[in-house]
Amino acid sequence: MKKFLIVLVFPTLLGESLFAAEAGMPQLNPKYWASQAFWLIIIFLSIYILISRIFIPKIKSNIDMRESKIRKDLEEAKTFREEAEKKLKAYKDLMESAKVDAKKILSESSQKLNEDMQAKKNKIQKEIEQETRNAEKEIQKFKSESLNKVNTISEEIVSTLVKDIFGEDLNRSSIKATVSQVLKEYKVKKI
Amino acid sequence: MAANPMQQFEVHRIGPEIKISGIDLSFTNSSLFMTISAVLITALLLFGTREKKLVPSKIQLMSEMLYNFIAKMISDTAGKKAKPYFPFIFSLFIFILFCNMIGMLPYSFTVTSHIIVTLTFAIFIFIGVTILGFVIHGFKYLKIFVPSGVPIVLLPIITIIEIISYLSRPVSLSVRLFANMMAGHTMLKVFGGFVISLGLIGGWLPLSFSVALTGLEILVAFLQAYVFAILTCIYLNDALNLHH
Repeated sequence: MKKFLIVLVFPTLLGESLFAAEAGMPQLNPKYWASQAFWLIIIFLSIYILISRIFIPKIKSNIDMRESKIRKDLEEAKTFREEAEKKLKAYKDLMESAKVDAKKILSESSQKLNEDMQAKKNKIQKEIEQETRNAEKEIQKFKSESLNKVNTISEEIVSTLVKDIFGEDLNRSSIKATVSQVLKEYKVKKI
Repeated sequence: MAANPMQQFEVHRIGPEIKISGIDLSFTNSSLFMTISAVLITALLLFGTREKKLVPSKIQLMSEMLYNFIAKMISDTAGKKAKPYFPFIFSLFIFILFCNMIGMLPYSFTVTSHIIVTLTFAIFIFIGVTILGFVIHGFKYLKIFVPSGVPIVLLPIITIIEIISYLSRPVSLSVRLFANMMAGHTMLKVFGGFVISLGLIGGWLPLSFSVALTGLEILVAFLQAYVFAILTCIYLNDALNLHH
């Protein structure tokens, strides 16, 4: 029943709307054409003047301001970055030169130290050698002196012994000759 | 029963009758909705430009997006020379857009669904662009009817076709907008009428159609404003940079 109703209602409605359209489009009624065009011109003109004189310059200045601010900020950031890079480079250079300096100082001081040590060593060596030589000389001197003393002592002993035993003094030179003779023989024997 | 779907387009006088030398210039409901559009546009732009924030508020962003959208549209289609006409295109687009959108509200009146309104715009643009073309290029502007690189045999026919197409610009421009708006609103009204007449049981189908159509009509409202503005830009481009 309801389906039947729909089928019945649809064409009637369509017919009605078609009839209405046929009855005339209000758009084609020229009664208010002049009024519509007139008010359109007035209202659109006022909107146009408002927009072109006030709103567009405002929006434009706002957008330009933002863009310039962004550009300025970007430029600032760029210069800051460049500065930071420069500083980093300076720091690296400084570190590099400091390292080189430290190496130089280290090698210099170690060389100096080595030279010092060598010089001192040489000096001490020389001193030791001198000391040794002196000591050797002294020993030599002492040796020879003691030999001479031995001669004198043995001569005296001999003369005393001769005096004690024989009760007379002997010729000093003969005694000396005898002692040296004996000593020489002794030395030869010993050697 | 369903009301006449064309009734929504009827223009009637509001307030006193204004007659100037026999011509009826009375304030009508059409004028009223033009005024409402104008007031809303002014309000939007006023609030959109009241604050100058570095990070824009929502309404400021809206006005700036609108500005950038139209600026891009003009520079894309008509080049740098069209810059002085930016305020006109901007006003044109936003006015038509607002008239179309306000027309989507129930019980409202669609200003742009009247041929006289769109024709006024179209004729103004047509005359303006033609004058501009002659002012900039002199009689060389007539070259627009003679495309280059066409065989001599075809040239007379092509020239006649070009002249006809040039002269039909105001008609096509105005009828496109007017017919789109009128057809959409009539369809909405017809389907709305079906919802009532088919009642609780059968009315759901036309109702869903109505919902879908409303979405479509909002798209059409935006699209037709855009098309109107971009066609104006293209005509402007023809007048400014003659490279036919």
